[in-house]
Amino acid sequence: MARVTGFGAASLDAFADGSLARAVAGTEPGQALDAESELYRRFAPRVRLYGLKHLRDRAAADDLAQQVMLIVIERLRAGEVRDPDQIASFVLSTSRMVAVGLRRTEARRERLRGQFDCGEPEVSIDESSLDLARITPCLTALRERERTILLLSFYAEKSAGEIGKALGMTAVAVRVSRHRALASMRTCLETRRPA
Amino acid sequence: MTDIRPGCLTFGELADYWTVDVPPQEVERIEAHVFECARCARLLAEAEQLRSGIGAMAKGGRFQAFVTDGLLNQLARDGVRVRSYALDPGETITCSAWADDEVIVTRLRGDFTGVSAIDAEMRLETGEEWGRTTDVPVREGATELVLALPASMVRSVPAASTMRITLRAASGPPGPQQSDIIAVYVFNHEGAHERP
Repeated sequence: MARVTGFGAASLDAFADGSLARAVAGTEPGQALDAESELYRRFAPRVRLYGLKHLRDRAAADDLAQQVMLIVIERLRAGEVRDPDQIASFVLSTSRMVAVGLRRTEARRERLRGQFDCGEPEVSIDESSLDLARITPCLTALRERERTILLLSFYAEKSAGEIGKALGMTAVAVRVSRHRALASMRTCLETRRPA
Repeated sequence: MTDIRPGCLTFGELADYWTVDVPPQEVERIEAHVFECARCARLLAEAEQLRSGIGAMAKGGRFQAFVTDGLLNQLARDGVRVRSYALDPGETITCSAWADDEVIVTRLRGDFTGVSAIDAEMRLETGEEWGRTTDVPVREGATELVLALPASMVRSVPAASTMRITLRAASGPPGPQQSDIIAVYVFNHEGAHERP
């Protein structure tokens, strides 16, 4: 079995997820800190992305990542993860389970907001971690129909079928245009990446 | 190490994950792969950044595009301040942008029968071209095109100037002289106003 405790974080890159999980399994808190940190570094961002998709809220996605990784590490320490080599699958199933609970909590919050009419929060958070100064010229440089398709897909959250109907295109053509537009955006953003 | 796995996903597939088009079984397939694969997890994060960046741009009224009512409804839900004008072909209107406007929407009405795409040109009376866009899709039966502009861009137009928007069918070869003019709309721009 690979021993990963006591190594610097940089060297942990080479270890498989399962090796890290086995290093944590059955340990007391503090005994496998490096391996636990590395597991957190690898999986917390994936759980957060899962949360963004299913909870549709950045704060809730952050909460999900924290809660899931806490549960995963505790279950590993307690020796309750049957197959550490399947740790990715365990993290995903834990994410699904915790997200259901968070959705219920959010539904309760929504009902309370409706009851007490709390209004919008005072502090607004910049939702994008991507520099708008970079993305604006790249979106502007797209062909008109591609720009419209991206706005309708990712902002107005319309389906390819709905977009096609509005623009006189087939759903397949919308998807093809969307992929082409995204490829152009990536290339453009890459050329504008700060040195 | 989980950097690359068999069956890695394309950026397009991962971007689709963030749309409403992706069916539940595809969502599960993508998630199962991404949790096993660091490379695809990074690409999924990149696609999400792009999605949220586009959303932030739209919410901030920082885009110029021909849009649909679906997008305008989303702007309204997000509390974006939109000022709207509607013009028939050949019509002249007096317009202005207020300091707290975020998006200016212009409904350009016309007869688009038999036209699948148009080119649009915005030109000041001085002859200076202020904007041009090509290949704007037109759905069959459309009676208007909806142009959205950042209000900040409109506020930058000199006061008391005249702006002309010309729509041409884009079916012909490139170049304004070869295309048919569908409609011309004239805006007498009063300038930017401050609220009292």
